[in-house]
Amino acid sequence: MGMGDRDGAGVVADRAGPPEGRLPGGPTCRVDFSRPLDFTFLGRPVTGFAGDTVASALYAAGVRIFGRSLKYHRPRGLYSMDGESSNTLMRIDGVPNECAETTELRAGMSVRAQNVRGDPRRDVFGFLDAFDRMMPAGFYYRVFHRPRRAWPIFQNGLRRMAGTGVLDPVGFGDGGRAESGVRAERYLNADVAVIGGGAGGMAAALAAAESGLRVCLFERRGWLGGHLDWRTRDFDGVALHRRGEALAARLLEARSRSPEIVKVFTSSPVTGVWGENLVTGFTVGTGDDPFRECHWECRAETVVVAAGCMDRPLVFNQNDRPGVMQVGAAWRLARTYAVRPGGVAVFSVGDDLGLEAAADLAELGVEIRAVADAREVGRQDAELVAALEERGIPVLSGWAASRAMGRGQVKACELRPLNGTGSRRFRCDLLVANAGMQPRIGVLASVGARLAYCSHTHGYRPIELPPGVFLAGSMTGLRDPRSIEASGRLAGHGAVTCCLDGAQERAGKAAATGGREAEATDRHGAASVATARRDADALPGPVAGCGIRHGPGIGRGAKAFVDLDEDGTYKNVVESARQGFDVPELAKRFGGFGLGPGQYRVAGQNLAMIMAEMRGDPVEAATPTTMRPPLAPPSLATVAGPNHDVHKRTPLHGELAGLGAIFRRAGAWERARHFSEDRACRDEIRNVRRNVGILDSSPLGKFRIFGPDALEALQRVYISDMRGARRGRCKYSAMCNDMGQLVDDGLVVREGENDYYLTTSSGRAGPTVEWFRYHTRYDGWDYNLVNLTDVLGSLNIAGPNARKVLDRVTDSDVSNGGFPYLGCRRITIGDGVEARCLRLGFVGELSFELHVPSSYCRYVWDLLIEAGADFGIRPFGLEAQYCLRAEKGHVIIGAESEARVTLTDIGMGWLWDREDTASQKVGAPALRACEKQPGRMKLVGFRVDGSGRGRNGRDGGGPGSGSPRDGAVVVDGGEIVGYVCTTRRSEALGWRYGMALVREGVVGLGGRLLIRQEESPGRPEICTATVVPPPFYDPEGGKPRS
Amino acid sequence: MTFRLTCPVCGKRDVYEFTFGGQERGPRPTQEGLGAEEHFRWVQFRLIPGEPREEWWYHGQGCGVWFRTTRDPVANREVEGGDGDG
Repeated sequence: MGMGDRDGAGVVADRAGPPEGRLPGGPTCRVDFSRPLDFTFLGRPVTGFAGDTVASALYAAGVRIFGRSLKYHRPRGLYSMDGESSNTLMRIDGVPNECAETTELRAGMSVRAQNVRGDPRRDVFGFLDAFDRMMPAGFYYRVFHRPRRAWPIFQNGLRRMAGTGVLDPVGFGDGGRAESGVRAERYLNADVAVIGGGAGGMAAALAAAESGLRVCLFERRGWLGGHLDWRTRDFDGVALHRRGEALAARLLEARSRSPEIVKVFTSSPVTGVWGENLVTGFTVGTGDDPFRECHWECRAETVVVAAGCMDRPLVFNQNDRPGVMQVGAAWRLARTYAVRPGGVAVFSVGDDLGLEAAADLAELGVEIRAVADAREVGRQDAELVAALEERGIPVLSGWAASRAMGRGQVKACELRPLNGTGSRRFRCDLLVANAGMQPRIGVLASVGARLAYCSHTHGYRPIELPPGVFLAGSMTGLRDPRSIEASGRLAGHGAVTCCLDGAQERAGKAAATGGREAEATDRHGAASVATARRDADALPGPVAGCGIRHGPGIGRGAKAFVDLDEDGTYKNVVESARQGFDVPELAKRFGGFGLGPGQYRVAGQNLAMIMAEMRGDPVEAATPTTMRPPLAPPSLATVAGPNHDVHKRTPLHGELAGLGAIFRRAGAWERARHFSEDRACRDEIRNVRRNVGILDSSPLGKFRIFGPDALEALQRVYISDMRGARRGRCKYSAMCNDMGQLVDDGLVVREGENDYYLTTSSGRAGPTVEWFRYHTRYDGWDYNLVNLTDVLGSLNIAGPNARKVLDRVTDSDVSNGGFPYLGCRRITIGDGVEARCLRLGFVGELSFELHVPSSYCRYVWDLLIEAGADFGIRPFGLEAQYCLRAEKGHVIIGAESEARVTLTDIGMGWLWDREDTASQKVGAPALRACEKQPGRMKLVGFRVDGSGRGRNGRDGGGPGSGSPRDGAVVVDGGEIVGYVCTTRRSEALGWRYGMALVREGVVGLGGRLLIRQEESPGRPEICTATVVPPPFYDPEGGKPRS
Repeated sequence: MTFRLTCPVCGKRDVYEFTFGGQERGPRPTQEGLGAEEHFRWVQFRLIPGEPREEWWYHGQGCGVWFRTTRDPVANREVEGGDGDG
């Protein structure tokens, strides 16, 4: 089963009886008791079942304390079953911060608790809970920085004691296999992206699918259905979960009819919605998925947000005790995972769903002592109240939980009325508490909707949606399943109409015809929207929510947590507000609220409501805080991606590898850098100087430019007078940017009327077309520039024997007279391979460069190797070429030129046609302006004093050797005046040479350079060198011309 | 950086396919008699008003055309109706 092919509606039937500690699996149960799975917790064996999450299996096995909290090391337990707190972040198979509540159980998993040594039931840092006075809001900023020298001690100590998981960078803990699973990427396009697979989302997707538009639906849980999934209450004579299954079945049927149009992704949380409706998220691999996690991006014309609701935590004293959990957690434990959430329970709720959950758990045999409902009398669903009272369960309207009792775990609780006095205590091991439901607004915030507090639903609602974004489902405050589905249909039709309007607009632009047709679709779209709106309006609207901000009697000698992740208490909020940080955005920075894994998703609304109260503002002033992506956390490995190393290989890669080449990345290419372990490449260099070497220079940029205005374009981008490019002859020139910096150099050969062949450096092969077109973009010139880099390979033979080798493989005239230095000829090689042959001298020897079609490269290579056998031919690599050209003083861009120097600064000003202003040469005005500027950096050659052999007898310079290395600084009277670009020891010369960029005027020819490097930290070493003019090798240049 | 641009040849495409070529600032000034100050102003100085402006973009991972379009730097979106203009 691939992604999106899962049977979202399939509910696992109760195939075997419930094992000990489990409830009988009802129709909504997703655990298969016939498939036990063994795993370990803290090294001890535990058994769960297929369909369990790690948390449900642990809870069923009696685990109540899952970890310790960030600051106070308080015991923490199962809380949301949806991964909405860091309580149940655990270390699974060596990977920290895995969410136990949502991670599917697999056989053989090793599960450990976090922020604790060993067993979370006994924690050595547990005493910290008593020291909360030392840790007021903002303590990190205020307390530990005095005295100053104590800070590092505090910092390290705090880091060790606080925090969540620990990443093991070496070997990735126990095995590292978990993080190494396959990561995939997928790129989707949709007309309608639906976020949320509950009733609203499914209805929207179906409405859009019926119109034949491309729909992608993303559901974070492993199945469709949303809230309906675990609800067994009858509605219109059908159990609610059946209603959800029917919708899911219709959607999946639509998908199987047209899988290319309708795509459904489960286990796929959305991480964010970005500009122009780019929806991003990830899919957790399950079943036969070929990946562990898959990142996806979906470019959507429209987005339907149907992300649903979540419990709003009730803030009351000791509300973090294990055994206190949200309504959804207790309910789903029982209904989805067949785990008994507790033996004796008390409920404190603010929504009819809470009452329904209480009645349902009672039905399943959980003893319920009392249900407090924070809403006033008469606002409850009478049918549910009656059902509870029938069972003898008291329903206390206008009451809420004020305190949980018990140390490691809840043992009792106290309920109080919100207005008035009195309290009641109940013994219980489970306290199911919420303050009602809050919409999951993360996605809305992410799309850029403006949100405001709604005093009817007591949740945030958008006051303005960006274009192309639609809202559906229970997020809007709807609770009636029919209303939710109708809102989905309305949103779906709205999205369809929006897509059609967009298409129509585009079509209208392309051809201003077909108006009648477009009008028809418009009328149709508008009609569907109108019908859907009528349907929705006829059904019950948003229900009144519960505005409770916190439990009664809060903060009296006990901690009440607003943010469980960051151990942010009610008292911290008070402190924060008292010090002026009285809006959530400030409190967030000061007290750390919402900075944890929850990122405000859970605590945000409570914090804003409490802050408004402290300022004395009405609750409507509760401003939502910024919720930043990722709205759900993908694993770091997924963020890193599959990490493909995308690179190019030359046509001769195999040949070079066969000869022992050591490859290194050079720009886009993988290139042969050395042919032996000798990094100084002495043998390769010596062979070029004495015999003949062969280099694979295929990455060299190769272009053809032709057309009536080709010469104009060349004149614009090259700094020389390109009218000098002639047939059969290489014209060397350079390109500058507008700052006069050298960006490229190469050869231009005229090949015909308005037809030129040109080469660029390897790194510029990519951007050259862009460069030419950019600098001629206003001119409207008629020319074509074709990149031949990958079409043609390039082989360079260089050395005194080069001609003898070439002569053996061609009948063409390669004599010095017939084919002089800087000539360019078309020659025929072997059995008739046509090659451009350029006679060059980059490495300072007699040298021929053959440009042949890539497919013939291996043939020509073999011919040359065979022909050169008698003349000592050997391959050489990039490093040897780098040294050979440096001995000649030839510049490589990026090595001897940089952003601070112009063409003239590096001694190449002779290329510049300074008379020409008409061609508007790129860089010419800057060269003119900088030419006479004093104090510029200039390129100088130098000879290191002494033999240049290191004290350790090695040729490589560097600290401790007495010889400088690349990058060492040039100093003058304690001031840095330049640096060494390249320095090597030359065997041919017998001394160490180099090139440096040095401030002009500091030192002249024959002068002394002081080069400073550090032998070891704090131990400087000064080398001296004499300034000599390049080229160092063969200064007369006779060799390439011979 | 997830917006789209309208290439005059290829239509609306993801911004990842394009290279930014800077604000529209007119053709290069005539070099005859051009002062250094004037030249550097043209090369380096830009006004960055927080309002839609004309820009150059290159469709490098597509057809390879330079074109002008209007982008609102505050919303970071191409302004609607910004038909590419090669």
